[in-house]
Amino acid sequence: MYVRSRRRPMGSAMSPLLARSLFVALYALYPLGCILQLGPDTGDGSALMSVIGLLLVAASFLAFAVLAGSSFQRQAQEQDAKLDERELAQRNRAAYGAFSVLAGLVALGLIYMSLRLDFVDRFPLWAPTTPEHWNALFWGAIILGLTLPAAFLAWEKEPPLED
Amino acid sequence: MSRKDLAEAVGVNPQTIGYLERGDYAPSVELALKIAAVFGAPVEVLFSLKPFSSLAQIIRNKGED
Repeated sequence: MYVRSRRRPMGSAMSPLLARSLFVALYALYPLGCILQLGPDTGDGSALMSVIGLLLVAASFLAFAVLAGSSFQRQAQEQDAKLDERELAQRNRAAYGAFSVLAGLVALGLIYMSLRLDFVDRFPLWAPTTPEHWNALFWGAIILGLTLPAAFLAWEKEPPLED
Repeated sequence: MSRKDLAEAVGVNPQTIGYLERGDYAPSVELALKIAAVFGAPVEVLFSLKPFSSLAQIIRNKGED
């Protein structure tokens, strides 16, 4: 997903450092916010935790909104015909890295669920049960799938300085 | 000639010219031929197995000669 503005059709120029900070914020705040919001109801303070969790999720979506119009996201999601050969080569490398990470995470999730089934009697390991849990996982996967290639691009070599 | 002018002449992003100058990206034969055509030079001058000397180094060497 890439948001193209009329003013900046090539995406907003953003320093790699800022983009990396926003990606780290996105990937840290969203799961943390979900855990605080959907964690076990312990009575005292759980309402406050829920509000803090909601704020963290909102902050992560704000980071996502800023990144959606960036040049990194453009390079990751643009049509092939609108990129040059260097941009395509970088995108292919980033897509391969993103696919590897996503495949690894899916494999880890399956291993976790398998272990949970095997040891459910001895260890009360967490598993998604409510629609809210599945919703949080669904949107997390969507965000990761949409932004991970651009995140890999943000960690590429520093782009050259302008003229 | 600025990076932007050269980029427009060969149809790439100006950043790509910067990557080429820095040696962080090796151009395809097609792009190299386009760049060579812009400068009216043979394409061989764009490729070398050894790193190209910097402009400052070339000027310094000429001064010592």
